[in-house]
Amino acid sequence: MKLKNTLIKILVPILSVICSFLVGAIMITFIGGNPADAYKFLFRGAFGSTANIGETIVKSVPLIFTGLAATFAYKCGVFNLGAEGQFTMGAVTSIWISTVVTGITGIPLLILSLTGGIIAGGIWGAIPGILKITRGLNEIIVSIMLNYVAVLFMGYLYSSPLREGSVPQTAAVAVKLGRIMNGTRVHAGIIIALIIAVGIYYFLFFTAGGFKLRAVGLNQTAARFNGYSVKKFILLSFIISGAIAGLGGSVELHGTQFRLMSGFGAGYGFDGVAIALIGQLNPIGTVLVAYLFAVLRAGATTMQVGSGMPTSVVDIIQALIIVFAVAGSAFTNLPKTRQFLSNMLSKQNRKEKEEWKQC
Amino acid sequence: MKEFLRMENMSKKFGEVYANREINLSIMEGEVHTLLGENGAGKSTLMNILTGLYQPTGGSIYLHGKKVKIDSPSKAVKLGIGMVHQHFMLVEALTVFENIILGITKDKSIFIKKDAIKNEILELADRYGLDIEIDKAITEISVGAQQRVEILKALYRGAELLILDEPTAALTDIEVEGLFKIIRKLTAENKSVIFISHKMREVLEISDRITILRTGQTIKTLTKDKTEEAELANLMIGKELVSSEYKKVMKTKENILSLEQVSFNKTSKHNGISEISLNVGKGEILGIAGVDGNGQSQLAQIVTGVIAPDSGNVILNTNKIAKFAPIDFINSNVSHIPEDRNKMGLIGNMSVRENLILKSLNKKRISAGKGLYLKRKAIALYAKEMKEKYDIRCASIDMELRNLSGGNQQKIVLARELEEEPKLLVAVHPTRGLDIGATKYVHDKMIDSRDKGCGILLISADFDEVLKLSDRIAVMFEGQVVGVYSGENPPINEISLAMSGKAK
Repeated sequence: MKLKNTLIKILVPILSVICSFLVGAIMITFIGGNPADAYKFLFRGAFGSTANIGETIVKSVPLIFTGLAATFAYKCGVFNLGAEGQFTMGAVTSIWISTVVTGITGIPLLILSLTGGIIAGGIWGAIPGILKITRGLNEIIVSIMLNYVAVLFMGYLYSSPLREGSVPQTAAVAVKLGRIMNGTRVHAGIIIALIIAVGIYYFLFFTAGGFKLRAVGLNQTAARFNGYSVKKFILLSFIISGAIAGLGGSVELHGTQFRLMSGFGAGYGFDGVAIALIGQLNPIGTVLVAYLFAVLRAGATTMQVGSGMPTSVVDIIQALIIVFAVAGSAFTNLPKTRQFLSNMLSKQNRKEKEEWKQC
Repeated sequence: MKEFLRMENMSKKFGEVYANREINLSIMEGEVHTLLGENGAGKSTLMNILTGLYQPTGGSIYLHGKKVKIDSPSKAVKLGIGMVHQHFMLVEALTVFENIILGITKDKSIFIKKDAIKNEILELADRYGLDIEIDKAITEISVGAQQRVEILKALYRGAELLILDEPTAALTDIEVEGLFKIIRKLTAENKSVIFISHKMREVLEISDRITILRTGQTIKTLTKDKTEEAELANLMIGKELVSSEYKKVMKTKENILSLEQVSFNKTSKHNGISEISLNVGKGEILGIAGVDGNGQSQLAQIVTGVIAPDSGNVILNTNKIAKFAPIDFINSNVSHIPEDRNKMGLIGNMSVRENLILKSLNKKRISAGKGLYLKRKAIALYAKEMKEKYDIRCASIDMELRNLSGGNQQKIVLARELEEEPKLLVAVHPTRGLDIGATKYVHDKMIDSRDKGCGILLISADFDEVLKLSDRIAVMFEGQVVGVYSGENPPINEISLAMSGKAK
């Protein structure tokens, strides 16, 4: 039974990706291109050289963070659609620390800056959480609104008080995350991201706290009757979710962008939600799907240059994956499909029936 | 008498389980036909098929001898099948009139011809003796009146067959008499009634024929005159009713739980309690009898810390409770079998194993390092032990809980709540939806706990259960305790009167 469910959970994303590429191919044919050609350039762009492979990893880092942020909140049954704002506030805080803190440099400054990002993201995430548990406000609306506040605040900073030179952007950060792969831009951020992913996985499935958090996410009333503080867990999940996104913003700043400018972090929050859903709300799945999204992005430009297909084709494929994955998950939950699938896995089924008889 | 409706070989499968298996039922014109069966016997499923909510897996329905397919609730209404659900489907903020015409488009005009329709409704009401106040809001009228509105609603939609699902559960004796008068008027006009009830006395009073369902199958259809209570009960249960007698104990001096003048949401008769004073002794079962929805839920939630009373004192084991939180009660060894196990007790999407340890996560045998590490092996071992000990039937302890039957789910609640050797057990409808075997098992376990010194507050809508287990019986009516009686040779008539609000 458990194996079967796991199998379905793995199959759905894989099939959605395959379907999306097939539909993408049909579309490419219709606009007069050659799908094989286009996909060849797409994958060459993502994996063609060491530099390309590195670039794909670099692109995956912020997506992993926002994806994990969404996963964590979802596991507690709440929706954090404010990862973009938390991501931005994390980066903003890091820039601010970099500007005002003097006297320390190097690793200590980096640690201080990343911690600042975590705290800022956590605070930004706590706002919808607090409003939800004290006033019952809808967290979806509050967290989306806070995205605008954060992005506009960042805009104010890079165009006025923290502006450097004639272009609306801030100065570069004083300390950068170390590169870890020769000939590429891959930075230590990917290691931080993977540690966080494994940490969340451990927390959710191997600790009492994670157990309770999942219980709250699955049935609040039962959790309350069994003595869990539902409100505490909801607030906690918001803070941690925000902190993960905030750290992501900070890492992206120190590892890739170095300065704030228009468009920093745009879209990462919502992509994170999609990634979490396709990754079946599993931290490890989230990492894999984030990487897949990065592959598509890294390859898009090469595809446009090589085959003449616009990069928006990749955007469409990405959107199709989301549609297929969500539809697939809903589909597998239908009783008829479940029946069909269990017949498909009849060997498994027989074994189960025998077990049934035994008890 | 002509046949109005016939169901032949009706089957309904949910997954692998048959809820209905080749059921045959025929309803005559102008008869009251009772469906009798334990919870889970398949009555509701059958009625849901008849009203178009479910599609059957197999079988056919004949109306006046012609085969029909009821593929939607509106089709059922069109065919003259009306249902009055146990929980009324009325819009509380609207008036009686508005509720009755809700969703009906009899003529094409965009305006509602209020006066004409009102007269039509009042005429109909008059004909069947349905006494209603047409312009009052639903919230202002009594439960009995709400039921009359539901019946009128169905009749106004042209019902020839009226399904009444446990219509007497929430009614007082006088209201039941009124309802029966209405039913007799309906059948006199050649309308048919399907009556669903557990109360033998009522069934024998009102029915013409009785069909007994058990485990989703039709067992027998009997004519009222040719049967009696004991036969019905035995057919329903499937074996000779062995009433296991439990020894009653005298109340001990020491109280584990005392309530002093406790009130919550006092003005509500059905969702509040008003100045309740009660004691539960150590090693004693105090049973709360009463029609469902007279404040029992609120009482249970107060003594488990889920809700806080507005006034009064709750004293648990000589400590006056100041702060009401479930965790504090759990830590003082209060166990709770909640009224709705799926909503309040268990987490359907978690495994059997996980549900068993919901309350003991921070115990040393379950986790280490203040919960930072869950001992998987120890948990699996514990879960397997519980599976054996409480006879939980499941393919594996990793199975998702929602795939288990109600009885096995309840055993999980029981295993979790009783294994910790509680000092106080609050058990609400502990056997609701369970078959006879599981019920006996639950009862035995509760008596066991009592004999170990656990005080038990038993709240049940099943009067027989209360009579059987309780050492003392308190009756609740409209949020108040209207009487406390001895569990040894209880004065059943007096208690029944008290339950309908006529205590002396």
